[in-house]
Amino acid sequence: MDELQKLFCAYREAIPDPEPSADFTPGVWRGIDARRSSARLFRRFAQVFVAFAAVLTVLMGVVVLPYLQRAPVYRATYIDVLAEEHASEETAALADGIQQPDFANEAVTQ
Amino acid sequence: MQVEFQLIERARGGDDAAFNLIIQAYRKRILGTIARLIGRPEDVEDVGQEVFVRLYYSLDQLRTPEVFEPWLYRLTVNAAYDYLRRQRRRNESRMSDLSEQQVSMADALAGGRKSDEEQHRTRVRELVESLLRGVSEDDRILLTLKEVEGLSLKELERIYNVNENALKVRLFRARQRVLKVFESEHKAQAAGPVSGKAK
Repeated sequence: MDELQKLFCAYREAIPDPEPSADFTPGVWRGIDARRSSARLFRRFAQVFVAFAAVLTVLMGVVVLPYLQRAPVYRATYIDVLAEEHASEETAALADGIQQPDFANEAVTQ
Repeated sequence: MQVEFQLIERARGGDDAAFNLIIQAYRKRILGTIARLIGRPEDVEDVGQEVFVRLYYSLDQLRTPEVFEPWLYRLTVNAAYDYLRRQRRRNESRMSDLSEQQVSMADALAGGRKSDEEQHRTRVRELVESLLRGVSEDDRILLTLKEVEGLSLKELERIYNVNENALKVRLFRARQRVLKVFESEHKAQAAGPVSGKAK
């Protein structure tokens, strides 16, 4: 046995197993409960977050999306939208006194 | 094994009474190991309680009750390791608060009230503590488990999950590093009492 081993053996004898205090086991259970309650708090937070996200999704699906889809651009056909746009352009042109080209008559003449 | 496999199985199943029995069976041994691993009697119970709290929440990860003891030792080692790392960070800022004179006065006062037997134990403890402080936490824990706790290489293999040869190499290197600290402390003491505190 070398010097170092002897020293470690003496160290083992110098520090015997300590007697646990009367509060040791209750302290362990307090630690377990503290961790359990923080885990429970986190789980509760996660549940509330998931519930809120679900409600928001349903709300968007039932209320917001149909409301947005009620806009004329989603209800009318492509032709209707095009005609509506042209109508506004024609009105603007007439107000400025500009003659709109008559494409139909030009085609017949040619 | 200090408890029966059935008791471990019951604790794994969520039986708090069974877990209580496990605490009672192992607490003294675990506290002893922690005391020698960390070398600070005032914090031993806190670290011990942390070990059992970790055990409670990791029992479901235990594959079989046969590996319960190495598992418990691994948790003990990890808790001690965490404590030592925290302590090292704290000490780096705290040690500079005390002057050399204050430290030696406190030592003298503490030593004056003790019997010869106690003084011898204190000296051994301080010497080993100073040696182990000079090496890394890994070396400290490995050497304490092997040399002080007397665990076999087989037991260490199961705790560290490495093969015997790798462990032998690590042990050899850790021993070399402690010997180096031992020699440098000897040299420092031989040089003079003031420079002896340099380590």
